[in-house]
Amino acid sequence: MSHEIFMPALSSTMTEGKIVEWLKNPGDKVERGESVLVVESDKADMDVESFQDGYLAAVLMPAGSTAPVGETIGLIVENQDEIASIQEQNKVKQIEVSSDAQLELPNNKSEIKEEMQKDVPQNNEQEVEIKREKVLITSNEIQFNASTSNNSSRLIASPRAKKLASTMGVELAKVRGSGPHGRIQADDVLKANGQPVSIPWIGEGSSSSSIGSPHIQAESKSEILGNSFGNPGETVQFNTLQKAVNKNMESSLNVPCFRVGYSINTDKLDNFYKKVKQNGVTMTALLVKAVAKTLKKHPQVNSSFSENGISYPENINIAVAVAMEDGGLITPVLKEPCNTDLFELSREWKDLVKRSRAKQLEPDEYSTGTFTLSNLGMFGVDRFDAILPPGTGAILAIASSKPTVVANNDGSISVKKIMQVNLTADHRVIYGADGASFLKDLSSLIENEPETLVA
Amino acid sequence: MINRTSIIKQPDKISFFYDVYKLQKKYQDSLISGKSNINFIWLGEHQLCYTLGRGSNMGNLLFSADEQDVFKIDRGGEVTCHMPGQLVTYLVLDLSNFNKDLNWYLRKIEKIIIKTLRSFNIDCSTKDGFTGVWIGERKIASIGIGCKRWVTIHGFSINVNCKLENFNKIVPCGIEGCRMVNMSDYNKNVEIKEVKKIVKKIIHEEFKFNFV
Repeated sequence: MSHEIFMPALSSTMTEGKIVEWLKNPGDKVERGESVLVVESDKADMDVESFQDGYLAAVLMPAGSTAPVGETIGLIVENQDEIASIQEQNKVKQIEVSSDAQLELPNNKSEIKEEMQKDVPQNNEQEVEIKREKVLITSNEIQFNASTSNNSSRLIASPRAKKLASTMGVELAKVRGSGPHGRIQADDVLKANGQPVSIPWIGEGSSSSSIGSPHIQAESKSEILGNSFGNPGETVQFNTLQKAVNKNMESSLNVPCFRVGYSINTDKLDNFYKKVKQNGVTMTALLVKAVAKTLKKHPQVNSSFSENGISYPENINIAVAVAMEDGGLITPVLKEPCNTDLFELSREWKDLVKRSRAKQLEPDEYSTGTFTLSNLGMFGVDRFDAILPPGTGAILAIASSKPTVVANNDGSISVKKIMQVNLTADHRVIYGADGASFLKDLSSLIENEPETLVA
Repeated sequence: MINRTSIIKQPDKISFFYDVYKLQKKYQDSLISGKSNINFIWLGEHQLCYTLGRGSNMGNLLFSADEQDVFKIDRGGEVTCHMPGQLVTYLVLDLSNFNKDLNWYLRKIEKIIIKTLRSFNIDCSTKDGFTGVWIGERKIASIGIGCKRWVTIHGFSINVNCKLENFNKIVPCGIEGCRMVNMSDYNKNVEIKEVKKIVKKIIHEEFKFNFV
């Protein structure tokens, strides 16, 4: 079965469009959403995409030619073995077209059509007849639809309507046309099929339905709740990742750590998050950004112990712990969050999470963190403390933000969303006062100006 | 839901054409795939380079193509030239949230340019059939747009105080004998920094963005 590619309407006033370039040749494989050709309107170019996987079987209008809006300009088939027959059919058409001097120039074609329509009595049936005889590409298209709808030769329908009718299984004969002379439009077919009328001209191949869901997957780890790697009575060997984590955790026993906690009001942050969430921003990216910005002011908290003294890294790279389904955890790194805008950072984070789950991270994507975040907020925990990863000076444990009754400075009482964070730090390089003033500034940033986290 | 949030980047340093092109592509791809719904606007200047639209004719390049930085890109229009002193503005917008009409969009861009120039007391106009902004027979701003699934790429450039001789190596926009002019020819003290501010303000007025 073949599917038509139509000349799209690039603007409401456009009656015909020029084909600048075919990006695919007949016989080429095309994927849904892939650009097949370029149509030009003035100084604007529009890529026309394929609405399904298949093969470009025929180019009905060559590059450089002009075709009326809605005209079939190419054909796509689902299977490779259909190409030959479509091309064969089409060769015949092309010969016919070129034998007719008037129809050779596509520019003339629409004029001819107009002239004819003037001469013809307002009779639908006859109009179809004329189109069949003279405008070969239109007749071509009627032929294709004839196989799907018995009565279509007596009906006038837009190419788009025909395509919809054939894909939806709507019988065109039963559709009432709302166009000129009762021409059946795409909307009519949709109505007949009981669907809301909303059709994009181009780009049906949108895959945007998944917005948000990868994010939810990335942020919510509910699937690991109650996880167990073995059955009761068994002893299961550690996997490689678990062994690596064990080694890191044990090495922390040689580090003199202290903890310092803070309660942060997240009302403003939550409001801001609601606004930017629709733009793909994740809470992790927001927190990473806030921590990175605060670390910039507190380089001491970004430092680490080395044999030669306190080591201050050149960059601020935030590692974020991600639990793996099959055991162990990995800490993908968001590099230099201060230099990346929030939206880009959110995209990077989603990509990192996806690739960590698929075990596709490069070593520098999980081993270059200078500060670590561990967030268990999604489980509703009040507070927890984290173990310091080797080679870094501090890790921040982030708990859930919960509505809490708060006594204000003026003695009044209110309910605010409060999130507890808990910093674990290596006391050889970071002292209590360093950690505390870092947390104070982090809290102030989150409580008062979360909107500055955008840039 | 209509989303008119946009990121705006306006570096002060001169940027490589191809770096910014990649950045635009990235934002365009995310909008197309639905990964994000943030529009993207870039205002800045490029090192000297020549760009060719998809329908362009190599004959309009009056030098051999490997001599300079030449980029064949996915926009409409003919050959043009970018250089310091010329303000380039790119808009990666999802027109589904505005008006799915490229003619509307081109006219909107012309309006933005005209309003900008008028705020510097430069009288200019459009010319039917010749997209761009003109002062009489001389061209001061060029437009070239690409679009995929109603997500735009590329935009327009305004000559502020650039070396117009660079245009002598091409037939600008494919129009023989087309003469280019600078804003500084009409307003001596004009500075690209100030033009940038005004363009940004007018883009905001015309498209009603929430800049973040």
